[in-house]
Amino acid sequence: MVWNITAGSVDITMGQVWAILGRAEMDSTASRIIWDIRLPRMCAAIILGGALSVSGFLLQTFFQNPIAGPYVLGISSGAKLVVALTMIFLLGRGVTIGSIGMVAAAFVGSLIATGFVLAISLKTKNMSRLIICGILIGYICSAITDFCVTFASDSNIVNLHNWSLGSLSGMTWSNIRVMTIIVALALTVTFMLSKPIGAYGLGETYARGMGVNVKVLRTVIILLSSVLSACVTAFAGPISFVGIAVPHLVKVSTSTAKPIVLIPGCFLGGAIVTLLCDGIARTVFAPTELSISSVTAILLVPVVIVMMLRKGGARE
Amino acid sequence: MSKNGGISLENLSVGYDNRALVSDICLAVKPGQIVTLIGPNGAGKSTILKSIIRELKLIDGVIMLSGKDSMSLKGEELAKELSMVMTERPRTELMTCREVVATGRYPYTGRLGILSEADWKIVDEAMELVGATDTAAQDFTRISDGQRQRVMLARAICQEPKILVLDEPTSFLDIRFKLDILSTIHKLARQRKIAVIMSLHELELVRGISDVIACVEGDHIGRIGRPDEIFTGGYIQRLYGIDEASFDEKTGMLILPKWED
Repeated sequence: MVWNITAGSVDITMGQVWAILGRAEMDSTASRIIWDIRLPRMCAAIILGGALSVSGFLLQTFFQNPIAGPYVLGISSGAKLVVALTMIFLLGRGVTIGSIGMVAAAFVGSLIATGFVLAISLKTKNMSRLIICGILIGYICSAITDFCVTFASDSNIVNLHNWSLGSLSGMTWSNIRVMTIIVALALTVTFMLSKPIGAYGLGETYARGMGVNVKVLRTVIILLSSVLSACVTAFAGPISFVGIAVPHLVKVSTSTAKPIVLIPGCFLGGAIVTLLCDGIARTVFAPTELSISSVTAILLVPVVIVMMLRKGGARE
Repeated sequence: MSKNGGISLENLSVGYDNRALVSDICLAVKPGQIVTLIGPNGAGKSTILKSIIRELKLIDGVIMLSGKDSMSLKGEELAKELSMVMTERPRTELMTCREVVATGRYPYTGRLGILSEADWKIVDEAMELVGATDTAAQDFTRISDGQRQRVMLARAICQEPKILVLDEPTSFLDIRFKLDILSTIHKLARQRKIAVIMSLHELELVRGISDVIACVEGDHIGRIGRPDEIFTGGYIQRLYGIDEASFDEKTGMLILPKWED
């Protein structure tokens, strides 16, 4: 149902595109635009949006907290910082890094940020405090990134700056290939784990009572969600709120919390929402492009607020 | 004896962070038998139960489950051997009671955890046994404490355990539900030959349901025996440190001290 709405809006923004796709010759400018710019971008929106929301779902399961997500917990920003540092450092020496290198850097960054969040979660059981700390970590990382970007050699500043705001522009097919492989792998593993994840959702005692190795599961969940959000950050910069809001939207629309439904549901939902937001970011003030995070924030923050108010009554 | 099934705790020491809270526990529960732990708050009843379900590491000693060392079992093997109802409630989101009960089938389902017809039949039977069939379609978070406890018991039952561990299964329930839950447990133990080990605070009910009572008295098990061996000679009053009020050993009734103006 949601799919139709989105498919519709994408259709409109790319109305002529579909027509061209049907009959264009390979050499026409229009078909170039589609093949080299728009299609990769669409694929990226689908893959990364899906990855982001599954990553959010995993974090929410892990922290047993409905408002956890890679962006609010500062994990995206951590990934961003390390990627920016790596890029500046290497570009300064005239070395360019491929997409795998970017992902690796982002993975390191997200693991460091996750490590911080985990350390804090050991200190406090209070979920709101955890989220606040995550947001603060995010701010610190963004600030440091800003410093670095400001002092970086100017040739790459523009690129880096765009990227650090979050954007899906400039995707190439080789990017797509790398992200598809990573996301597909992580997603398959996640899906195979939907049974223990469901048990874990009941609480650790019960999961253990059902025969789940809780320690291993917790580690795997954290690694998977870091890989997924790292992949997103490496290619598109931090995209806000998709990770928090989409799993909730999917839960409401399917009225279930079973991971076996939610994991594919989150991927699909994340893909749709990101596609829609990217479409808006691209077209509303065309030819000027908005950062995708601005769009996701406007559309999804109200969802998060409603969710918090509702949950607030039920818990604590 | 442990070779014949049931559970036996052999020279067990349990506690937190490597510090023993209760030591030298020797206790055996045969299939079909109900053993109840009693003792004051904080004496370590829950600690013992949590150690049995492997939530806490053992400090010393061995737990034998149906003749096998519990520590040597894999998670899923343990889950087929033993199930529990603890005081902690599971967190559920958008789950009906029937789905909560169905989580008990976890160790028996495949990789994706999809229940077969046969599994669902076991789920429904378990719900019927505890009298929770009418709540099947309701949201688990919206039912009363008493009904919730029935659902939790059904969940433990459909895990088809040989050993059932219950931590204060009757807390927060009204007398009807207390009696109801305990008589279901009694029936289960006898009919399905399940070894039951639980903690209880209701002394008036302990007497009727237990085959053996173990009294957790601070750092050790003070007495183990049949109800009539325990409820005698003012032992209960000493165990709980009751000075002013009194406890009637025959009926389990508690009498408040009289205040005279």
